[in-house]
Amino acid sequence: MSASPVIEVDQRNLRYGEFHAVKDLSFQVERGELYALLGTNGAGKTSTLEVIEGHRDPSSGRARVFGKSPTNRREVRSRMGIMLQESGIAQDLTVAETVRLIGHISGRQDSVERVLNLVDLAHKGGTRSSQLSGGEKRRLDFAAAVYGRPELIILDEPTTGLDIQSRDALWETVQQLREDGATVVLTTHYLEEAQQRADRIGLMHQGTFHLQGTVSDLTRTLPASIQFSLPPDAPALPMWPAPLAGRSYSIETFALQRDLKNLLEWADDHAVELSDLSAAPTRLDDVFRAIGAESVPSPLLVR
Amino acid sequence: MFAIAYGELVQILRNRAVLITSLLMPVAVSIFIINLRDTFARIGSLGYVGAVLVFTIAAFTLYATTVTSLAARRQDRFLKRLRSTAASDPTILSGLVAPVTGISLLQIAVILSVFAGIGGAAVQVALLVAGVVASFAMMLALGIATAGITKSPEHAQVTALPLSLGVIAVASWVGITGTESLAPLERLLPGGAATELMVNAWNGDVPVTESLLLLLPTLAWVIAAVALASRMFRWEPRR
Repeated sequence: MSASPVIEVDQRNLRYGEFHAVKDLSFQVERGELYALLGTNGAGKTSTLEVIEGHRDPSSGRARVFGKSPTNRREVRSRMGIMLQESGIAQDLTVAETVRLIGHISGRQDSVERVLNLVDLAHKGGTRSSQLSGGEKRRLDFAAAVYGRPELIILDEPTTGLDIQSRDALWETVQQLREDGATVVLTTHYLEEAQQRADRIGLMHQGTFHLQGTVSDLTRTLPASIQFSLPPDAPALPMWPAPLAGRSYSIETFALQRDLKNLLEWADDHAVELSDLSAAPTRLDDVFRAIGAESVPSPLLVR
Repeated sequence: MFAIAYGELVQILRNRAVLITSLLMPVAVSIFIINLRDTFARIGSLGYVGAVLVFTIAAFTLYATTVTSLAARRQDRFLKRLRSTAASDPTILSGLVAPVTGISLLQIAVILSVFAGIGGAAVQVALLVAGVVASFAMMLALGIATAGITKSPEHAQVTALPLSLGVIAVASWVGITGTESLAPLERLLPGGAATELMVNAWNGDVPVTESLLLLLPTLAWVIAAVALASRMFRWEPRR
């Protein structure tokens, strides 16, 4: 097995007329990795995916999938399953006909029945796509993407419109494919999905990466917080917390464990009761909001 | 290509609106024309009736259905879904237009056979076939080009109408008045030279070598239509 990256994007730019949609984007996705491409609305995620998918040529720069141009459909697409953001399902074909057609021209071998069972649509095999609910259409699109167990799966907002059971089932299938060695590229607006499942994340804003790395790399860029309330007669604190409303305080720290320990020891030494005490690590949402507010040093790329 | 073509055929046959307006109506019009063949032949000739039948099918079955179905597949993002597979663009496009092309050819073969059986057969059959094939190729390519400027299947009722009516008008003009007075203009219009070719082929009153020259402007229109199609066709809705 080759150790070369599955996806290589180097100094890629994409323009729509005067609009510079993606600027100098460089990243790699390694074999077996789940890479999440996240960003604010209009950040350039879908444009980036479209270049990787071979739907769009970059204005400049280079993109390679399995070491080849992604526009080389014959070589690349038989190894790649794509779940588009918008369904792209023929309304007058049945569910089984859709999977059979897309599967047939994907260049991969599989059983329609197996794939429909995988997404719990076997009982709808004879139903026309126009009669499916929004969630069922997403599952059908997912079925077409994973037909034939592709080595690379592109999931563009896969769980939008899915109920919780369908989401869990989808992620279970993705996990099985990953255990078989599949590489996954994901975009989603559900940050908890990326936080739980992604090996690495690229956070895009205004057409370029502001942060890239593991969840831990990304959340380390912002301080965690310790919040508590003090009684009126409490002595002065050894650190300088930001006052919240009333007697409530917040400590922002890059060393959560150390500062929490210090705070608890101080409270113990001075017999002070810390009411409403909470310590929260930085979450991906916080980083995401900070990028939107442009309060994260940028660009900060962690490999 | 065959898997895409089969899928497209299934979709055409299941869509009642397409089935009626694009496939059954042209046949009904053709039956009407054949029924009144003596009247049409008096104002033109049997060859004129044959040419009008060809362009009725070419305009409404082939051209209009191509515009409508390609616009619908693009609007549904089905074209993008197909392009997300290993199939090449020419394979996808060929697969999508193959069923309607096949249906059109079958329709015209049956209709012209019936017409020949009732009204009298064409004298130069090979020439007639060349005229039909060239006309269909032109209308198919123009259909793909027109689909490029058609936002939706509903919009196709507007965008496909001018050319559909236009080629039948040109066929009627050439078929009824002949090309004695305004031959260069009539032959340069889309379908003009092809109509003259088919009229000659059916009536058999012009030498084949002379009629063959009419293939040149017809083939020029085919080339122009293919160039327009490759320039104007869009796979995705405008962003």
